[in-house]
Amino acid sequence: MTAAAPVGPAVRRARWIAVLLACFASLAVAQQVQLENRVYEIAGKLRCPVCTSESVADSSVQLAIQMREIIQEQLNDGRSEAQILAFFQERYGDWILLDPPKRGLHLLVWVLPVVGAILGVTALFVLGRRWQRRSHEPIDVDPADLARVRSELASEET
Amino acid sequence: MKARRLLVTLAVVAALGGIFAFGLLRGEPDRDLPSELIGRPAPSFDIPLYERYQGQYGDVLSLSEYLGERPLVVNFWASWCAPCYVEAPVLQSYWQEYQDTDVLFVGVQTQDKGQYEEGRAFMDQFGLGFPNGIDDDSRMSIGWGLLGVPETFFIDRDGVVREKHIGPVTPEVMERQLAALLE
Repeated sequence: MTAAAPVGPAVRRARWIAVLLACFASLAVAQQVQLENRVYEIAGKLRCPVCTSESVADSSVQLAIQMREIIQEQLNDGRSEAQILAFFQERYGDWILLDPPKRGLHLLVWVLPVVGAILGVTALFVLGRRWQRRSHEPIDVDPADLARVRSELASEET
Repeated sequence: MKARRLLVTLAVVAALGGIFAFGLLRGEPDRDLPSELIGRPAPSFDIPLYERYQGQYGDVLSLSEYLGERPLVVNFWASWCAPCYVEAPVLQSYWQEYQDTDVLFVGVQTQDKGQYEEGRAFMDQFGLGFPNGIDDDSRMSIGWGLLGVPETFFIDRDGVVREKHIGPVTPEVMERQLAALLE
């Protein structure tokens, strides 16, 4: 067993610097990952112009890669998601947005499902009420038939 | 009561069938889009030209030098694009016919990263006389809202985009558009 060598101030300083550097490095990596996530999040809202039914985030064609680079540059320049989407919309029109904008004819896409759901639930409710009411109504039945059913049930029990 | 129910069922089926038939028969609406640029000033770009055009037009052609001065025909193509090979001779023959007017044709090789040799072979094959350059990073494609290649933009003397043609240009398209530009 040897005693630990005494640590000089220079070594101690070097250790602190190493720890600080590691902190900065991991912070930089975390920021880079966060930026990339933002890029893909925005790219996921854009339609790839030269693909079929693929977003700019999903596609690996050159043009989609280039579009993701543009998104990253614009994020670095401090532009907001809305500004970036508007940049592409200005060039490609509403078509480039995978979620149609909530205005004009596009509004139908957003409103119709809600209206459909409300109508469906209302119809179920009304029909349910009607069926329930009917189940309580006395049934118009021939007394002779009723007597026959009763006698058959009674004979079955014995 | 029975007849009414049948009628309602038929009406619903007919309505759904109608929507279905409309969806089937309306072609490819996604590919048949009017450009957002029509009626707007054309975006400018600076395109590095191929060597053979540099003597006459400089190393880099700045579209801004011509926008608002001369009518322009801007054609986007790629070396891998089969319809581009169909339209190239049409473009070249109209360029020959119109190069003495003030209309300028500009060819942009795009969505074709690093394919310089293929680009040169393409220009050799058709003896393209109008300036052609390469949009190596496809930024011009995005800037002009391209959906694919080939696409051709017709820009009037005021620098406003008048028309965009998707797919290979035909002599009919060229005649009509050039007549409109030179009016």
